[in-house]
Amino acid sequence: MKRLSLLLALSMLIIFAGCRKTVPPPPPEQPKVTEPEVKPEEKPAPKEEPVIKKVSESDFMTVYFDFDKYNLVDSAKRALDNNATLLKDNPDLVVRIEGNCDERGTVEYNLSLGEKRANAAKKYLMDLGIAEGRLQTISYGKEKPVAMGHDEASWAKNRRDDFRIISQ
Amino acid sequence: MKTGTIISLLTILAFSLSMPLFAQSGSGIPDFRGSLGPRSSFEPTKISVEEVKYIGISPINASDTVILKNCAAILRNDIDFSPYFEIVLLDSFFMRHMELQEMTLLGWGWMGSAYVIRLEAEFPSENLRLTYRLYSTSTQKEIRKQKFESNKLYYRDLIHEMANDIIKFLTGDDGIYRTKIAYIRQFNGAKELYISDYDGYNERQLTNNKSINLSPAFTPDGEFIYFTSYLDGYPKIYMLTLKNNNIDLIAGYPGINAAPAVSPDGKYVAAVLSKDGNSEIYLLDRKGKIVKRLTYSWAIESSPTWSPDGKEIAFTSDRTGSPQIYIMDAEGTNVRRLTYEGKYNDSPCWSPRGDRIIYISRDRVFKIYSIDVMGREYKVLAELGDNENPHFSPDGNHIIFSSTRMGPSELYLMDLFGRKQQRLTNKGGYSNPIWSPIRK
Repeated sequence: MKRLSLLLALSMLIIFAGCRKTVPPPPPEQPKVTEPEVKPEEKPAPKEEPVIKKVSESDFMTVYFDFDKYNLVDSAKRALDNNATLLKDNPDLVVRIEGNCDERGTVEYNLSLGEKRANAAKKYLMDLGIAEGRLQTISYGKEKPVAMGHDEASWAKNRRDDFRIISQ
Repeated sequence: MKTGTIISLLTILAFSLSMPLFAQSGSGIPDFRGSLGPRSSFEPTKISVEEVKYIGISPINASDTVILKNCAAILRNDIDFSPYFEIVLLDSFFMRHMELQEMTLLGWGWMGSAYVIRLEAEFPSENLRLTYRLYSTSTQKEIRKQKFESNKLYYRDLIHEMANDIIKFLTGDDGIYRTKIAYIRQFNGAKELYISDYDGYNERQLTNNKSINLSPAFTPDGEFIYFTSYLDGYPKIYMLTLKNNNIDLIAGYPGINAAPAVSPDGKYVAAVLSKDGNSEIYLLDRKGKIVKRLTYSWAIESSPTWSPDGKEIAFTSDRTGSPQIYIMDAEGTNVRRLTYEGKYNDSPCWSPRGDRIIYISRDRVFKIYSIDVMGREYKVLAELGDNENPHFSPDGNHIIFSSTRMGPSELYLMDLFGRKQQRLTNKGGYSNPIWSPIRK
């Protein structure tokens, strides 16, 4: 029993990792945007299937920043390179880049800082050839933390750009 | 013999304590004006408030007894809140030692009180009629008597009105006891705007849009609050009318619309807009129409605050690579840097007296500092835990701020020297406090 669940978890991991990392240039078949979505009741557990063709928000990598900074460090650029590939492979995709900050500092300053972070990502993607019209931005300042702790580990997770899919 | 020495010692003490503030005029009323310089070396004047004496004819019921007990407590709290005064409480040990059956003016004087307030109450129909008599212990004379009356449901307001009268009589300044504070409360992921009395009582929720509401700012007449809200998804500036809670959109330009600050004459709103791709400070009229762009830099510009004469605006900018406080003329010209100490200074609030600006500075934790507007001298006011959004009371005597020093974010009060720090709330999730003007 334990073994089975382990196996299941492992295979899920492989599928997940696969869909996250490779994000292959879509194989012959085009991403079927017009087709209705897979009905969940028909296929309860998509085990070995190459899952959904649609891009999901979890395919986008979060972009992280240093304290009180909005310049893109190397890991941030790698995340954006991944996200740029997604956008290039799905030309109808429109996203919103959401800039966020950790809890330190004022509401007002962080609102501006969050926007700088969103704009930094937007500019990087535009430099990679993504059309401006596909990249919306918003700043949530320090209002939408994902980690609730009051320590560096939490703060680091909160200084980020999230990607939200607006349309595809 | 022993008692005698103590008495004379105490008398000397009492006089020496009250002396510095007694620039005695003929009436025995001290002149407080000009006594608050940048230094905080003066001693507050001591004052006592006796329990309320019921002078009605019919017997008093239990709930009215509670009201009278509260009245004395609220008045003590109000007066003690002033940086000029300190309440001296009844000390039974002292009374026993002095063999006093009840507290006399002389006895209060021995305890250091320069003034004593005695209260007399009646309950005509549903009203509370409260009279205060103010005595000087040095002359042992009544120096003022005033009568107040209102529906007894509103006895807190009645006491605050009385405290205003006492402060006005003793110091010449308008009291702040009828002012309001507004602030943001967070729960269930939403942040809503609230208002209450200055002491945290009579809280009322102003917005209920289940969104994020931020950065409130009163108009000088106290009738409207400008604030930032995500109520339609993006940060925009709105105006709330206090008498009916109506909300009007003021600024909804692309990007950020935030940090509104209303000019002292009420005609303009300085605010942060990023419609040109970067946070800049703009001058809007009160309906949100852009009058002028005030800052031009690639950096973050934020948190404008007006000088009380309306001629200058202080703000935060990270144009040198870290946030610092700057001052410019209200036309956007003559920009000069105010803060040089510390790598992270933000959240300026200009004193209603005009001479100083308070702000937060990051030094491991966020501390509240006060700096004179020439940038010559600065000092720390609050350094326990992380502190945010310091905001002056309209008389410049008090500062409200939020702090996580005890864990959850709560509102705190202190005087302009950083003394008398006290926690105002205890439920967590409080932030962004502001203080209303004094309404005449």
